[in-house]
Amino acid sequence: MTDVYEGVTYVYDGSAEGLLTAIFTAYADRERPDAVVREADFQPTLLQVPKRIKTSADLADRVSSGLRKRLGAYTQRGVLRASLSGRKDAGTAVYRFVRFALDEPHPVKRRPIDDISNPEVRPLHDILRAISNECEKIRQFSRFEHLCDDTGEVWFARVNPRDSVVPLVMGHFVERFNVQPFILYDEVHDLAGIWDGHQRMFVSTADMEMTLPEKTASEVVMQEAWRTFYKTLSIDARYNPELRRKMMPKRFWKNLTEMQDDEFAIKRS
Amino acid sequence: MDIVRKLEILSDAAKYDVACTSSGVDRAGKRGQLGAASAAGCCHSFTEDGRCISLLKVLMTNVCTYDCAYCVNRRSNAEVERTAFTPQELADLTIGFYRRNYIEGLFLSSGVIGNADRTTELMIETLRILREDYGFRGYIHAKAVPNASLELVDKLGYLADRLSVNLELPSSASLKLLCPDKTRQSVLKPMKRISEAISEDSESRAMVRRRKTVYMSATRPRRAQRAFAPAGQSTQMIVGATPETDHQILGLAASLYKSMQLKRVFFSAYLPVVADPRLPSTDRIQLDREHRLYQADWLMRFYGFSVEEIIDEANPNLATDVDPKANWALNHLDLFPVEVNTASRDMLLRVPGIGVRGAKLIMRARKQSTLGEDELRRLGIALKRARYFITCGGKHLGRGVEFSPEVLHAKLAAPIDGGSHGRRADKLVDGQMSLFSYASVTGDFALEEASPDAAGPARVLEAAS
Repeated sequence: MTDVYEGVTYVYDGSAEGLLTAIFTAYADRERPDAVVREADFQPTLLQVPKRIKTSADLADRVSSGLRKRLGAYTQRGVLRASLSGRKDAGTAVYRFVRFALDEPHPVKRRPIDDISNPEVRPLHDILRAISNECEKIRQFSRFEHLCDDTGEVWFARVNPRDSVVPLVMGHFVERFNVQPFILYDEVHDLAGIWDGHQRMFVSTADMEMTLPEKTASEVVMQEAWRTFYKTLSIDARYNPELRRKMMPKRFWKNLTEMQDDEFAIKRS
Repeated sequence: MDIVRKLEILSDAAKYDVACTSSGVDRAGKRGQLGAASAAGCCHSFTEDGRCISLLKVLMTNVCTYDCAYCVNRRSNAEVERTAFTPQELADLTIGFYRRNYIEGLFLSSGVIGNADRTTELMIETLRILREDYGFRGYIHAKAVPNASLELVDKLGYLADRLSVNLELPSSASLKLLCPDKTRQSVLKPMKRISEAISEDSESRAMVRRRKTVYMSATRPRRAQRAFAPAGQSTQMIVGATPETDHQILGLAASLYKSMQLKRVFFSAYLPVVADPRLPSTDRIQLDREHRLYQADWLMRFYGFSVEEIIDEANPNLATDVDPKANWALNHLDLFPVEVNTASRDMLLRVPGIGVRGAKLIMRARKQSTLGEDELRRLGIALKRARYFITCGGKHLGRGVEFSPEVLHAKLAAPIDGGSHGRRADKLVDGQMSLFSYASVTGDFALEEASPDAAGPARVLEAAS
């Protein structure tokens, strides 16, 4: 089948809504794009015809509820989670999976998302696994600081995940820290998850300037205690930095309290 | 003494306890209370040796009236500075760390101050402050002190999520030699009590939940506010300080899993921290042996192996060049190759290269389509190892390789990746002098210590008795 639009590449803004809008566009305009990439990763080549997708929250909602209706809640959840991925190939993988799943005559019963050895499904499965790993990393390696000024107090954590997982892990932190107002700030995706003690909200910080209050006195003591504890616990005879790097990748070290005074370690990274 | 210095001393003294798991209990958060716990646990940091930090692992005090030879806190060790937390200090520190997402909770152990009961009372008070005054819902692991009275152990169990009593040495002879203040009974009695209390508590809770039985108010099972050690109990054994074989150690572990319903048995490669003529003073630590023991432990807990299948008296130590599962497969080649598209989950789990995750993926994927080599590759199965033992649609994937124990043994042999640092036993050359052994070559054991092979500790023990 030859298509006049062969070679078209969709370019979206990088948000999950943008990706869902792109999927909508592919069906609305009866196109089969070669690739769906985010603006930041897009490299124009001679043979590709780029098509800029204008993100629309309404269209994204329509796609989301349509997926639920056609593919079931289980598959819809997978697609929505995968669209938060920061990987370069995520857009294409999600789009191709949706095509594949919707072409399936009995998608709810057959659950195409479980056909994990299929080349159309495998990339999505990899992305989902990477995302749940990244969620776990953020649950492990977020460090909250107690900040305080005249207007009040807040517990603030700065994180740098590869995928935009703050919406996925917010529930975990709200559950355990519901007694303290906190902000989980994703500096890579300019997104802050905020819990004010009553409700949670997500704020895009893209064009915001942030000034943070001062650390409280007890915060300074606690950080020192934690660093001391961290250093003390290591057993020299078992020294194994390779294993540590594997379990706690260096990209997280810059936001980890216990790694802060280890200037040497940070320089090496 | 300020709190940071205290923490330094008391965590330094606690770090040789290997258990640092926060798993086994699911407790949702509650509005207005700090903390929650999830069944899988969570590691919050990793030290330079690659071990995880999940809990604030400290001692209540490092003052100790016992004199166990291997322990850094032993009474006769004059080199360590002694100190103690007050229950309030320790509770505040735990809350402070928890609020910052440094830890999942507290791991509380202690030296024996005064006597076992007094020590346990201090621990109970700490846990009470955390649970009742602060409403803390995070994870707490507490150590039951050997010789403590059973009523106090009961009290501790209703406040903690997991309890543990450390066996430390795998036989009563070794225990007698190295821990003069402990007996096998003093360790097994609290362990037995904890195991009974856990099953009693869960039974009575289940009855109350089901409401199938109607009780007169006087005999109604008491429903405690909290469950008794809902994450179960665990224990730890030191490996390499005494002459027990892997066969004895694993046999003991298996019987503990069975008779005491333990959740975990931890193994800790012996590391000399204090010089003592009763102990091997080699500078090498048997990390590879520890690694193989854990592999065998995993086979028992997750892969449906019984201890007799893993190890027998004829070969009382685990092979070092192949892992225990590969070793089993090599001894049972008549059961292989298996067909991945039809084999049961139990059989898939026995194929080297297919683990719990791999078996699950195969079961899930083969409902959709027949699996061939490419599909298995896409599932991420370690075909490098598995190919010799499986067929896909009748096609054997180990083509060109003779299906014999010798050839397959060579294919499966792989050194343990333990990083390129540290004092891993296999890295040091025989006879290499190290600082530690040099310092301790003072007694009559210099000759034995020069060749720290498997029989070394045995000879040391004979000499000492």
